[in-house]
Amino acid sequence: MKREYQDAGGSSAAAAGDMGKDSMMSAPAEEEEVDELLAALGYKVRSSDMADVAQKLEQLEMAMGMGGVGPGAASDDGFTAHLATDTVHYNPTDLSSWVESMLSELNAPPPPLPQTPSLASTVTGGGGFFDIPPPSVDSSSSTYALRPIPSPPVAPADLSADSARDPKRMRTGGGSTSSSSSSSSSLGGGGGCARSSVVEAAPPAAAAEANAPALPVVVVDTQEAGIRLVHALLACAEAVQQENFSAAEALVKQIPLLAASQGGAMRKVAAYFGEALARRVFRFRPQPDSSLLDAAFADLLHAHFYESCPYLKFAHFTANQAILEAFAGCRRVHVVDFGIKQGMQWPALLQALALRPGGPPSFRLTGVGPPQPDETDALQQVGWKLAQFAHTIRVDFQYRGLVAATLADLEPFMLQPEGEEDPNEEPEVIAVNSVFEMHRLLAQPGALEKVLGTVRAVRPRIVTVVEQEANHNSGSFLDRFSESLHYYSTMFDSLEGAGQGPSDISSGPAAGGTDQVMSEVYLGRQICNVVACEGEERTERHETLGQWRNRLGRAGFETVHLGSNAYKQASTLLALFAGGDGYKVEEKEGCLTLGWHTRPLIATSAWRLAAP
Amino acid sequence: MCMGGPPVAAPRQEEEEAVLEVRVHLLGGGRYNINDNADILSEILARLDGRSLAASASVCRLWAAVSRRDAVWEALCLRHVGPASAGHATRTVVAALGGYRRLYRLCLGPALDRLGRAGALAHAQARARLSLSLSLSLFSIDCYERLGGAGGGGAGRQQPPSSLLFLCKPVDVS
Repeated sequence: MKREYQDAGGSSAAAAGDMGKDSMMSAPAEEEEVDELLAALGYKVRSSDMADVAQKLEQLEMAMGMGGVGPGAASDDGFTAHLATDTVHYNPTDLSSWVESMLSELNAPPPPLPQTPSLASTVTGGGGFFDIPPPSVDSSSSTYALRPIPSPPVAPADLSADSARDPKRMRTGGGSTSSSSSSSSSLGGGGGCARSSVVEAAPPAAAAEANAPALPVVVVDTQEAGIRLVHALLACAEAVQQENFSAAEALVKQIPLLAASQGGAMRKVAAYFGEALARRVFRFRPQPDSSLLDAAFADLLHAHFYESCPYLKFAHFTANQAILEAFAGCRRVHVVDFGIKQGMQWPALLQALALRPGGPPSFRLTGVGPPQPDETDALQQVGWKLAQFAHTIRVDFQYRGLVAATLADLEPFMLQPEGEEDPNEEPEVIAVNSVFEMHRLLAQPGALEKVLGTVRAVRPRIVTVVEQEANHNSGSFLDRFSESLHYYSTMFDSLEGAGQGPSDISSGPAAGGTDQVMSEVYLGRQICNVVACEGEERTERHETLGQWRNRLGRAGFETVHLGSNAYKQASTLLALFAGGDGYKVEEKEGCLTLGWHTRPLIATSAWRLAAP
Repeated sequence: MCMGGPPVAAPRQEEEEAVLEVRVHLLGGGRYNINDNADILSEILARLDGRSLAASASVCRLWAAVSRRDAVWEALCLRHVGPASAGHATRTVVAALGGYRRLYRLCLGPALDRLGRAGALAHAQARARLSLSLSLSLFSIDCYERLGGAGGGGAGRQQPPSSLLFLCKPVDVS
């Protein structure tokens, strides 16, 4: 038994290794029909054929002179260089016949093309088979539209040979290529079958390209794996949307393997999305963890995110500029911060107020924060620190902390000054600031309207709103999923581009790397919330600038144009960031957006009460 | 360095102490040692660039003292961000935040380096002009971070101030 295990493991390792996959071939192949582990990858190889296939792969390898390097490096080899030009992608899930074709090509003129394999993968599970209609992915954004893998006509000779070899071909229903389904003979015992996502990639239209000439074959491994990865993610999301959880389960298991073949940002994004999908599929709802550890951890992540990339700094600087301009000439000012956190936004504003012509006003800050699980009063600590800072630069400063589980709990009277207002003094001018806080309110119906009503009631001079520029709140899960996949891929790309090189500050050897990892975890938590949670728990309900405009417009606010000062400052700030090339500041009808290359990611806008 | 008259600058090492002497012949004769007049020295040093100014601190004790004067660094900073932008309150505020020397070391210097490198790359974004307000904003954030948690006990988690780390990470100029 053990030897059989080792044999199976060994041969499959050889087979898999030669293919450049680093899948974990440690379990024995239980099924007699098709090797389950390779099947999970989309390859269909019968266990009895394994030794054969392995041998042939070795021959192929020797013939190609690759010496153990994966096929991805084949382009370096002179022999295969010419293959890189006109090539046709074959889907070598039928491993045996593909290898056969490669070998015979080397030994003889190119034979008739191998039969397009039916793309079935067995999965232990319920009986019968079911159809998964091809997802609508192909009609969606062009990024995911895959060129149909041409399926050449079946040569009769091959047909008989292959059907003899692969009696276990499953009938997969509508979407599979025409030729192979017609040849399916015995259905073989048991096993429901779930189509691998790759099937969806070859729409029925593939048959139309049946008359492709006999071309040599090159498999571009990483690219194809990347495309398959995206497809797997989207197909899984679609399955989830259709409540087809068994299909979703099968797909979700493929994602880590596919993700492992990628590098850099794509791998991480896929890992987070895969995990979030798994949570959703397996109904593992993360409990809102109100422990001290989680609150401190969230703070830590936020701090690292602040340092590693310019999004938060951009948000703070542009909002501060708007507030500063709104406060011009006022002697008493009051800022309400809807999410004070560590108060990193305010030192810069205090300093700017201290230096403005005419001297600083007397400044009051109301910081709103969530209840802390332990006894420490985090809000007071932040207030104390800010007071110290203000004292250093001689700005008259007052602070009040408000603990609120949700912003909807705020009432206008809480924001009013305490004590009697001296009628001789001018009334204080109020600014309301919200950085990434408003979208959480959308989780509870009516909460946003209440909060905007409260804001209106205090009659602020200016309201600054910073939000993510994406629509992660549409009704359809698949839409949300693909939107957020796009968005977070861009975010992770920007982190990748910017967080390079070791930090030479003594604060830590790999501080640059740590920051990046922490920021990725920070974003990963958002991803988890967008994908895995529903209802009230799903607080990351991002909406686009246009949507916020509508909401705020309906609530009685009008846009205040952020001036060119803010734009210039933002541009300079971004130029200071390593990888500053990629960041782009754009102005959109008076609001500023910061994005990575062509994709805007964060939008800052300023508002005031519309004239009645 | 020469001052007026026929320029004869003859640096000479004295015996034990490394005192740099600049002997200059002034019009009408007489010799002049720059070390005799620290204010003029500071005027001169104020016209240097950052690196040279920092290096000049290692010449001798007098130069070290003079080059540490904030006024010298103030002149340097304002030269880069535009002297017009500084109001009379700027000096007090900057002093409260840690001084111009610190401002240059932490913010302006690295930022100018970064912008200089970026400018050399000649990309479409116009040459960004570093403004005093921006550098002071960054400086104030750093100062705020260093304040640490006074007052209440709290978690006592003292993280080294790192808001300006982004300025010191090397630029990828591949």
